[in-house]
Amino acid sequence: MTKDTRNSAALSRRGFMGAGAAAAFAATSIAERASAQGRDRLVFALSSYPPSLRPWANTGTAAGTAKCQFLRGLLSYGPKGEIRGELAESWSSDSPTTWTVRLREGARFHDGEALTPDAVRRSFELMQDEKSTASLRGALGALIDRIEAPDARSVRFQLKKPSATFVYMLASWHAPMISPRSNEANPVGAGPYRIADVERGTRIDFDAFDGYWNRGLPRTKKLRMAAYADENLRVAALDAGDVDIIEYVPWQSYDSIERNAKLAMDVVDGPFMYLNFNCVQGPFTNAKLRQAVAYAIRREDVVKAAFFGRGSAMNGLPFPKGSEFRDEATANHWRTDLDLARKFLAEGGQPNGFSCKLLSTAQYGMHKDTAEVVQQSLAAIGIRVELVLPDWATRVAVGNRGQYDFGVMGSAGDFNDPDSMAQFLDGSQTPNYTRSHGYNNPKVNELFEQGRAELDVARRKAIYREMEKLALEDAALVGVAWRSQAYAMRKPLTGFANLPGFLSFYSGLTLENVTMG
Amino acid sequence: MAYVLRRVAISIGLIWTVATLIFLVLRMIPGDPAELLLSSGGVAPDPAQVLELRERLGLEAPLLQQYATFMGQLLRLDLGTSLTDDYPVMDEIAKRLPRTIELILAATILAVAVGMPLGVVAALRRGSGMDRTLSAAASFNQSLPVFVTGTLLILVFAQHLRWVPAGGYVAFAQDPARHLTNLLMPAVTIAIGLSTVVFRMTRASVLETLDRDWVRTARAKGLAPRHVVRRHVLRNSLGPVVTVIGLQMGTLLGGTVLVEYVFNWPGLSGYLVRAVEQRNYPEVQGIVLVICALFVFLNLVVDLLYAVLDPRVRHG
Repeated sequence: MTKDTRNSAALSRRGFMGAGAAAAFAATSIAERASAQGRDRLVFALSSYPPSLRPWANTGTAAGTAKCQFLRGLLSYGPKGEIRGELAESWSSDSPTTWTVRLREGARFHDGEALTPDAVRRSFELMQDEKSTASLRGALGALIDRIEAPDARSVRFQLKKPSATFVYMLASWHAPMISPRSNEANPVGAGPYRIADVERGTRIDFDAFDGYWNRGLPRTKKLRMAAYADENLRVAALDAGDVDIIEYVPWQSYDSIERNAKLAMDVVDGPFMYLNFNCVQGPFTNAKLRQAVAYAIRREDVVKAAFFGRGSAMNGLPFPKGSEFRDEATANHWRTDLDLARKFLAEGGQPNGFSCKLLSTAQYGMHKDTAEVVQQSLAAIGIRVELVLPDWATRVAVGNRGQYDFGVMGSAGDFNDPDSMAQFLDGSQTPNYTRSHGYNNPKVNELFEQGRAELDVARRKAIYREMEKLALEDAALVGVAWRSQAYAMRKPLTGFANLPGFLSFYSGLTLENVTMG
Repeated sequence: MAYVLRRVAISIGLIWTVATLIFLVLRMIPGDPAELLLSSGGVAPDPAQVLELRERLGLEAPLLQQYATFMGQLLRLDLGTSLTDDYPVMDEIAKRLPRTIELILAATILAVAVGMPLGVVAALRRGSGMDRTLSAAASFNQSLPVFVTGTLLILVFAQHLRWVPAGGYVAFAQDPARHLTNLLMPAVTIAIGLSTVVFRMTRASVLETLDRDWVRTARAKGLAPRHVVRRHVLRNSLGPVVTVIGLQMGTLLGGTVLVEYVFNWPGLSGYLVRAVEQRNYPEVQGIVLVICALFVFLNLVVDLLYAVLDPRVRHG
């Protein structure tokens, strides 16, 4: 009896203590959640943890978004996508081969080092170093003859040839300046934030840099970038209030976010899906058969199936909407027309269709869904398509080696200029998985070269018009769909802008303007 | 002593075999880490740059030379550095392994706390309405994929009720309360499936024990039913249950991928998947080897324990 009583008293005491601890724990966690995003800390959900923070390597959008918080270049982009001075306050072209930038007075790096012409020159030299992983290494090496310092605040770039796109390189987030006391492996930048703490694979915490050249910015003093690889979890975390803003909003969630009174979304049509072909072997060495494919695809179905209707058909080459180089007539060149597709099939010597393999990847739903719609579309004209859907790494390797008949790709230009299409169409460049294998039209290559060297806008328009005509005839890049690219955020948040067109991926630049309401 | 040495030698041989296999398999599957690393922005890299990076990463060396380097590193217990940012693989595993183990332990505790008592109750009331209900519920639980359970939990408890975060991770040292809140849902998600296994095993084992002669004898002696169950049935039923739990925990070591993904829990499984996607050879090799070494070590301990418990094993 005594034993039983003691036991029951002990259990009761334990139970009481347990309940108390649980209540305290719950209260703590709820209180914690309520204050997870104070006004002084912004939480941004990245779509993946950056593979590396090396300043000049292209390691994806998530990495670029994180890097541009602590690293900045001479130029960058404003909220409307316009080029603006960053560490340089002005820039000008003295001659077709000379560009001079004036460095911002007082601009300095996080370690206190001043931004000088020598620091700029050193950064460019490191980018062009043969051991560098800089994505612009080849382009800069082919263009820059020498870098001079006419005075203590000016840098003059002497180019080997005229370049209309040199300013885009200066504005690229793959060309930031680093402190002379740092190196590529451990860069110290001059961005609005400095890295405060890193939990590798999970999050990067930033603190505002009080010496940032743009006084008063960043508006939010602390920034956390946390990786949420699962797109549905990113949306759930935003809805639950765990994070304030997310990138790569999944298309299937657009409706629910738009209906949610606490959330807002900023959407642009930026990246695009397209088909590329093996022009060395297989059926698509014949341009007529490529044309047949281009006219048979039901692009609206791709937009519906792969992007839940959030995008638009791309009936020509990837000239972004709103670009001064875009011609609406040629932009709608390939409307679905099965009769015309059959005519091209017949002209290509395959009136009854043929069998072929379409390379895509099962790793990304949009690539797989696009491939499935293309497969169904082409069945209507007798082209029997077998889907090849390896993981992304294999798809890249197979694509680079040209081991495919035709393939689905998704991409975006580096900047909003027609020259960014050169990577998909200029056959003088080294073979790669983003361009049709073996495609090489010397005239197209020459027109890209001319467009790059021409500074007059009217003349450039004429050049790209001619290039577009040839490329449409060759059908080595067949546009399929523009896809919407969205950022979603909690309503009190203001100041963020999704940059237009291809620059959507650069939108992380505007985080410095964000306030929490 | 000879037995112990033989078991240790076999264990080392096993680890060497796995190390060699993973080394070869990784290099046989398509996908070049240098190519991927330089093209992750969707822009194709310059082949000269790819070649230089391959040389820097040691991927251009003959396979045999790469293998010798790899084995040399292994002998020094050095798992190398990540191809993407030169971070030591061992350090990253040391950070992530405890997180996965913590998740598995938390899930196991929950699963045992729920599955075992319910299994006993179901066995003691064999054929009753409660037994049938519990068995039906177990079947239902077992048919639920973890990503469905996880997503539902997020929807209900994070988005609607807002009791817990949707996912993520905060170190215990940084914020214990937040850490445990983040741990709760992934642990429950694993525990739902695991508790079913524990429930079924406990029920079957208790039923089997209840039919034993010595249980009948205990009852015939007039012992109280509660006493019979506690002292004679439960203790003798737990052996197979504990074995199954141990096996399940071992499987979970590399099998929490989906849960880690759904809840953004930065453990070892998620690390392995990302490393495979990136063809990050040192990371994949390191993770697989550590998981393998843990399995081999656990098996070795079990083998040695058997030998201690049963002399026939060491002499046979």
